Amino acid sequence: MAEQSLGGRILDGYGDLIAQHIDDAPEGVRQALSVAFNVERAKVTILPELKVHPFSRDAASIALRSVTDALNDFGSSVVTSIFLPSEMFLSMGVHPVTAEALSGFVTAAHAETGFVGEAEGMGVPETYCSFHKVLMGLATSGVLPAPRLLASCSVPCDANNLSFKALSHVWGTPHVYVDVPYSTADDAAAVSYVADQLRSLAHAAERAYGTDLDEEELRRHVANSQETLASLRRSLPLRRGHFMRSDMGNEMQLALATHLWLGTDDTLRMARHMERDLADAQDFDGVSIVWGHIPPFFLRSIAEPTSQSRDAQIIATDMLYDQVGPDEPRYDADHPFEAMAERLLDDCFNGPATRRADRLCSLARQTGADGAVVFVHWGCKETAGAAQLMRRQLESQGFPTLVLDGDGCDRGNCMEGQMSTRFSAFLEMLRARREAA
Amino acid sequence: MTPNSVSVERSTGDRVEARRDGGHVVYYACKYTPVELLAGFGARSELAEADVSSFDEADRLAHPNLCGYGKGLIERLLRDDVREVVLITCCDVIKRAYDVLREQGDFDFIYLLDLPHKRGEAERRLFRARLADLADRYAEYSGRSFDVGAALAAFEPPVRSTGDHVTLLGAHATRALLDNVGEGVGYPVENGTCTERHLLVTPPPELARAASEGDCSACGDDAGAGVGRAGGTLDTFLDWYAGALLNQMPCMRMDDVSQRAKLHGGKGQRGVIYHTMKFCDYYGFEYALATKEEDLPMVKIETDGTSQSLGQLRTRLEAFGETLHGADVAREAAGSREGLGRGYVMGVDSGSTSTDAAIMDERGNLVATVILPTGAKATESARRAKAEVLEKAGLREEDMALKVSTGYGRDNIPDMDTAITEITCHAKGAHFLMPEARTIIDIGGQDSKVIHLDDRGNVLNFVMNDKCAAGTGRFMEMMARTLEMSLEDFCRTGLEWKHEVKISSMCTVFAESEVVSLVAEDTPTPDIIHGLCESVARKTATLARRVNGEAPYLMTGGVANNAGVVQALTNVLGAPVATHEDSQLCGAIGAALLGLESLQQG
Repeated sequence: MAEQSLGGRILDGYGDLIAQHIDDAPEGVRQALSVAFNVERAKVTILPELKVHPFSRDAASIALRSVTDALNDFGSSVVTSIFLPSEMFLSMGVHPVTAEALSGFVTAAHAETGFVGEAEGMGVPETYCSFHKVLMGLATSGVLPAPRLLASCSVPCDANNLSFKALSHVWGTPHVYVDVPYSTADDAAAVSYVADQLRSLAHAAERAYGTDLDEEELRRHVANSQETLASLRRSLPLRRGHFMRSDMGNEMQLALATHLWLGTDDTLRMARHMERDLADAQDFDGVSIVWGHIPPFFLRSIAEPTSQSRDAQIIATDMLYDQVGPDEPRYDADHPFEAMAERLLDDCFNGPATRRADRLCSLARQTGADGAVVFVHWGCKETAGAAQLMRRQLESQGFPTLVLDGDGCDRGNCMEGQMSTRFSAFLEMLRARREAA
Repeated sequence: MTPNSVSVERSTGDRVEARRDGGHVVYYACKYTPVELLAGFGARSELAEADVSSFDEADRLAHPNLCGYGKGLIERLLRDDVREVVLITCCDVIKRAYDVLREQGDFDFIYLLDLPHKRGEAERRLFRARLADLADRYAEYSGRSFDVGAALAAFEPPVRSTGDHVTLLGAHATRALLDNVGEGVGYPVENGTCTERHLLVTPPPELARAASEGDCSACGDDAGAGVGRAGGTLDTFLDWYAGALLNQMPCMRMDDVSQRAKLHGGKGQRGVIYHTMKFCDYYGFEYALATKEEDLPMVKIETDGTSQSLGQLRTRLEAFGETLHGADVAREAAGSREGLGRGYVMGVDSGSTSTDAAIMDERGNLVATVILPTGAKATESARRAKAEVLEKAGLREEDMALKVSTGYGRDNIPDMDTAITEITCHAKGAHFLMPEARTIIDIGGQDSKVIHLDDRGNVLNFVMNDKCAAGTGRFMEMMARTLEMSLEDFCRTGLEWKHEVKISSMCTVFAESEVVSLVAEDTPTPDIIHGLCESVARKTATLARRVNGEAPYLMTGGVANNAGVVQALTNVLGAPVATHEDSQLCGAIGAALLGLESLQQG
């Protein structure tokens, strides 16, 4: 089956080569992956994709950098979970990298099968999240050297608990786990509890990297984060009726940029470009859908119908707008740890499934979407368990919804033919509904 | 009140009806549920067994890709007899099950208690506040006040087994599973699964004194009377209880699980059985770590959380029991047959595809063997195999000192002396055929297994595929059918491959879809078959790594006749994989050998 890569195909044929040498030459495999990603990074910089909006090019560049920086200098990296605030690390010059980022790029290089097999061989259950399986495989094979610190939080899923605990064992690296109550930032005790844990995490990072945290720099990063999210909030209604000129790869890159690199000047610039680009965007009269979870960008038959297409587009995802609620933040950058705690507690992926369903409904309403897709990524019990509930809630508010089963990074768990038929038929249904209205 | 916890209360009339049906019964699913606190309000807590006959409703309301216990809970708790539910935010599946129950159910009381992942002072304070909130909500709903004496009476003393026993760890076990393990392994079972309470402390004397004061209040003092929390008594209780509950033996979702090492190797523990479920990830991880402890006999079993999936576990549990008991069952049988026969032994392997029999003389020489298709009636095939092998050897049934059966149908063969699992027999038979082999890869029609041996043919470790057909002979048969070929042609054609084709999926259904797509793209058939062989090899190599498999490898079972798979396995494992012309007789030969050994030792 042919696939489309993340922002353009990286290197075909790498996957088999990598799978063959995971066990006997892990260092060579790491270098091969690093070369592939650096080539792609250079391409994004020198020959940017002109069909997409400038803000999408910004996102591609940021996302690629997150992985290339990590692979080029893993000693200065921290392996984190995607919802954990990064500002402490960024303020210290430490590169955050996550399972989703590494696995996404490994999949783009067609190399996920070998790492999934490696992880399963070590006893990782087959029904585990594939993003985390690839990360585990990268670690146990020795392709990724040990970082100096592991940091994760309990939002949104159990994998952030399990994988990181196991990786700490494999690598002999300290792991700091941030326990996030099943609550909101209305609960002051919960904010204080999470903020204190983030302070402890910052101290652990200081010890691990031998660098003092500059509080002023941290406040600057948190202020950047808040301005970035405010910009995203302003840009949301600008999506309505406008042509996104994006593809599924862009959506994943945007999610990485607004989580891992939230707080940087680059991500703030990207958000501002988004506001500008969307305000000037061409009108769009095709079908617009809201997408739940990370889309399977590597499956051509799924990605193609919405790739810079005039007929159908993804207009918003909950992976981009999970941190963008209706209210202004209660804590400003002068209280950086409380501000980060508030963001984490109020993330729509924390707490009951109705919170995420509400966010999807809100996104659909504000963007004027025709319908929604809840993508059930293999091994994601958080999404699987909530999928039908989210569908019922979306449909009760007038948004036809498709629950689509697949995998966000492992081709082995995707029935592409069946997925494609279901997705295409859903788009046809929305189109017919739109024409009839 | 904490905003994370939500309760639903119904009218007084409903409550009265609920009480008439048996009082307050709270259904729960996690060992961190405060059953003693609820007992203080006169509620009986009942662990939701969730041993249901189908997951249809759960699949419809939630999704098939949840663990069997989570889906079973949805099915069970939506039944009319359940009026009160307290769940814990213990894992992703239970949180989502709560969401579905809250949306779909019609309960008198339903509450989700948030459990911290850590156990420090800050977490204890947080957890205490949440317990207090639950107490307030339940008091308000039930109209009852807290009775510390009733709460203390609900405590069960933390006493661990010290006599010979096995410990069942991992995901929730139904009563039927506990019984099955006990019967299969032959030892009493200590339940250490995720739903089994494991408090490490007993209530302090101050609380008992508070209970006595509470009794006095019943005679006139109003401290414990009326609706609500009963003020200071509940506070004193919660001050202690929050820490006691939080600091019990941790389950795998807690951040620090180092204490769980104490679950391995306690006094009297003969072995550990790990119970896992698909889409429950926690205990697969712990099992992977625990397998590195070489001294601990351990086996992994997988169910879907209901008693319907227990049948397939029998072989695994009995084989594990055989390794724990050491002196095997055959020896006992030999004792009872001493002095009979002329020193010949017979082994019969009743498998899903073929029924094989072997006769050995007292010096361990093979006298005769037969292989017959099993067909529709396993018992009849076994009877014919016995008759034919006796005829071939020129012997009568009375000449047999011992007859040992093995295989799926081992317990249904008439007139046998004893039955031993195919794992133990296969290992012994493989050692006979190729003494240098240390890892046996057996891929049969129904299942695939990898057995790691010592230099005497004893089982060091083994692993079997779960009930899915991935990587088995059945997988190959279905793929051959998809390509409209006989299995023989399929194997032969696969050797003519020219280009690498990757079949990503191991799932039979997904792989079939991939094959259909490749056919649509005019991919040459030999290349597709080669891709399938590689796919089976990858799956099998994963199993081999799980038991620390090492060269030399011997492959047995029907799939050993597929040269493409053997070659692919050689490539993936990085070492030659041998086959043997008599490999199909492994089980029968092993059964006969074990019989012979027991006669010689007995």
